[in-house]
Amino acid sequence: MRAATTTRRRDIQLAYLLLAPTLLLLLTVLAYPVGWEVWTSLTDLSPLKDGPPAFVGLANYRAFLADPEFWRAAAVTVVYAAVTSVAKLALGTGFALLLARPFRGRALVFLAVFLPWAYPASVSVIGWYWTLSPPIPTAYSVLMGNIKYAVDSAFGGGAWAFVSVTLFNIWRGSSFIGVFLLAGINAIPPQLFECAVLESKSPWRRFWLVTVPLLKPFFALAVFLSLAMAFADLANVWMLTGGRIVFPVIGTHAYWLAIRGGQFGAASALSLMLVPFFLVVLLVCFRIFDPPEGTGA
Amino acid sequence: MAQVMMKNLNKKYDEVHAVKDVNLHIRDKEFMVLVGPSGCGKSTTLRMVAGLEEITAGEIMIGDRVVNDLPPKDRDIAMVFQNYALYPHMTVYDNMAFGLKMRKFPKLEIQKRVQEAAEILGIQELLRRKPRQLSGGQRQRVAVGRAIVRHPQVFLFDEPLSNLDAKLRVQMRVELKRLHERLETTAIYVTHDQVEAMTLGDRVVVMKDGWIQQVGEPLELYGKPANKFVAGFIGSPAMNFLDVKVADANGALWAEAHGLRVKVPPAHTSRLMPYKGQQVTLGVRPEDLQLASGSDPSEYVFDAVVDVVEPLGSEILLDLRAANSTIVARVEPTVRVKVHEKTRLAMTPDRAHFFDVNTELAI
Amino acid sequence: MLIERTWKKWVYFYIPLTVFVVGTLFPFYWMLITAIRPDAELYRSWRAATNTPFWTLQPTLEHFRDLMAKTTFPQWLWNTFFIAVASTAISLFCGLLAGYALARLRFPMAGTLGTSIFVTYLVPPTLLFIPLANIIRTFQLGDTPWALILTYPTFLIPFCTWLLMGYFKTIPRELEECARIDGATRFGAMLRIVFPIAVPGILSAGIFAFTLSWNEFIYALVFLSSPEKKTVPVGVVSELIRGDIYFWGQLMAGALLGSIPVALVYSFFVEYYVTGLTGSVKG
Repeated sequence: MRAATTTRRRDIQLAYLLLAPTLLLLLTVLAYPVGWEVWTSLTDLSPLKDGPPAFVGLANYRAFLADPEFWRAAAVTVVYAAVTSVAKLALGTGFALLLARPFRGRALVFLAVFLPWAYPASVSVIGWYWTLSPPIPTAYSVLMGNIKYAVDSAFGGGAWAFVSVTLFNIWRGSSFIGVFLLAGINAIPPQLFECAVLESKSPWRRFWLVTVPLLKPFFALAVFLSLAMAFADLANVWMLTGGRIVFPVIGTHAYWLAIRGGQFGAASALSLMLVPFFLVVLLVCFRIFDPPEGTGA
Repeated sequence: MAQVMMKNLNKKYDEVHAVKDVNLHIRDKEFMVLVGPSGCGKSTTLRMVAGLEEITAGEIMIGDRVVNDLPPKDRDIAMVFQNYALYPHMTVYDNMAFGLKMRKFPKLEIQKRVQEAAEILGIQELLRRKPRQLSGGQRQRVAVGRAIVRHPQVFLFDEPLSNLDAKLRVQMRVELKRLHERLETTAIYVTHDQVEAMTLGDRVVVMKDGWIQQVGEPLELYGKPANKFVAGFIGSPAMNFLDVKVADANGALWAEAHGLRVKVPPAHTSRLMPYKGQQVTLGVRPEDLQLASGSDPSEYVFDAVVDVVEPLGSEILLDLRAANSTIVARVEPTVRVKVHEKTRLAMTPDRAHFFDVNTELAI
Repeated sequence: MLIERTWKKWVYFYIPLTVFVVGTLFPFYWMLITAIRPDAELYRSWRAATNTPFWTLQPTLEHFRDLMAKTTFPQWLWNTFFIAVASTAISLFCGLLAGYALARLRFPMAGTLGTSIFVTYLVPPTLLFIPLANIIRTFQLGDTPWALILTYPTFLIPFCTWLLMGYFKTIPRELEECARIDGATRFGAMLRIVFPIAVPGILSAGIFAFTLSWNEFIYALVFLSSPEKKTVPVGVVSELIRGDIYFWGQLMAGALLGSIPVALVYSFFVEYYVTGLTGSVKG
């Protein structure tokens, strides 16, 4: 038995050659920063401070764990992720089922449904801001102001901001999940659905017994992406609350610490504290749904 | 024009040993067919010749070059695939010209060769179409055309007719045979269909589990199968196998089973002597069984009960029960029998086959 | 298909569909109305008798004109376009090569590399913007388009690679094998056979990448500071909101204009996009 033949060696060389640009780029702008961040989170690095950064061990992490503000942000983040994910999944499934069958004007409806996702979030978020919290006396600002006041006084300050961020996330995310699931439904052979129509009269039962199991891998990835995005959300919250911390999630907290406060060490530690969330979600999703390889989107 | 030699060829995947010690000499201009059930290693062997699979051990020579380390493009071969593998984004003309363009042939020469091949295959009108506008048979022709424009040393065919319907398959089979006679190029053809193998091959290689079972001309495989597998694989309906015991009586050998006692034909007597008193497998082809008439010698006749009658027009297939097993007989279309009827079958004595029970080799 | 009664079709199909569509499109309508509403109407008291919140009687293009003339909006459009095209091109280039290698070549560590590239897609910008800001400062790329062109691929490449890898897997291997026998090298077969066939997949990956980079916010917010260097999403938000003063008309006009390229791209390629997506997922 001889070792790798020339053909095989050529294949391996070609493979690494083709992967080189990707690996190079990902290493420099991903692996290195992550490493740097881990190290920084153990120091008190700050551009505002003179002299070399001091190694402080786990002090940054300990400080956060003792800080009620952190726990508040963490709780808000979890609730935010859970609520939006459930709603997005339900609405997205609805979209996908409605659009699964051909009808006149489907392409247009498809475009309409997809628009919230394709639209720059930072811009459409202003539209929402304008709709939900008009800051000047316009046509219906008093009405919205009253709702805001009622919500805030019932659930505490920032509740209205939370509602609006949640609504926005759902609005924007469910269209993406809808399109994603639609792709999944299209990939299922139609005979399976026709067969199911013969088996059971109730559309509701058919949905749970046929559609859901077949779409499992797609659901898994959708849930994962949705949760991951919500956990890491910074842009939406920051924009919709106009950059004021009325409603801290972990992301905005870190942004304030790092960019406004210059506390790179602490901010890094805070960002890294998101990682356990991701790992848990990843593990749970893939355990429950066991998606096949190759459904990356 | 070239011969192809395989020496101790082996292919191992991580866990599967797909091709085992294959030694084969394919002569210049020969049409060699590799046949066997799926997973027997025939396609892997072909793909090693093409250079699409690495060779784990052994050697392949095309002409007088060892090609083990040559990439496919330098082996001077052409291949026709089961799914035709036409490039969907190119016209038929560009599909056929691709290989010549890659080899930097002058434009005029390319035109000439493509025209020539298109004429041979009768696809001149299709040259401007895209593959998806063609029917299965037309695609098949284009795939063959793409192979022949190159004038390669060896043609490789990987189950090229499997995706066609039955009628078209017979037609294309004849055309391929005619084409080979005209082009006189060495060809290696892989199929799982023994009829294709018998009709097309100058010689046929029967493979199973990665081993070569037998190499020979079609009628040789049919008449003198080397083992039970080849005997059962070549011919349709398949050969009947009966477990019998060799017994010595009245100065002759007899093959005995439950309710069955036939004489061992004289040609086999000497070779079966060592098996006296032991089990062997008796093989009889359906076409070597007939309903017994008074003139048949009684020592080659046995009882059977009709199970199913399948009239095919030109012949009738009878499924019968005899000696506790099911056998098939191919009889004249004029024969009239009823289901469950008791009948007597006569076998043609010099066409009987005997196989060792353990080694399954022909005795 | 079963025959359904008309009212059922309305209850289960048309009404929910209408609700969905109105829900998704209303904010856009609201933006449009605000963008073409004259200032006088925009800042009028809600008690005014002639109040028409859901439409306007005197549509005007004044906000669009102001936006183009009085702000650096055209410059933002160009910046965004340049950055999106450049980072999409880089990501497609890397994604094509890497996707092909992962889909077709057998080499040690193929599985590990494939998974780790996918995992990098899941690393959120929230985790990365702090160290990246530091790197960009070190290389003095801050406040240049290159800061974004080089960082956007972090989330674009993994995505492109995975989508294209899935697409490549749907292309029959025999096509390539045939090309290699016909006289092409592996690389040649990839360029001449696989890539042309994968055009729908490449287009949809490109569209996706273009949209993501056009819409990106956090990196653009952190890495760019001069008003004339900004991209549309950041520029609109940071320059048209001064403290508590919102230039509503111009904001909405900018929001509409700034997303026209993306909307155009989608309406032209929506078919390709869907086939690309389904093709890849089937793989």
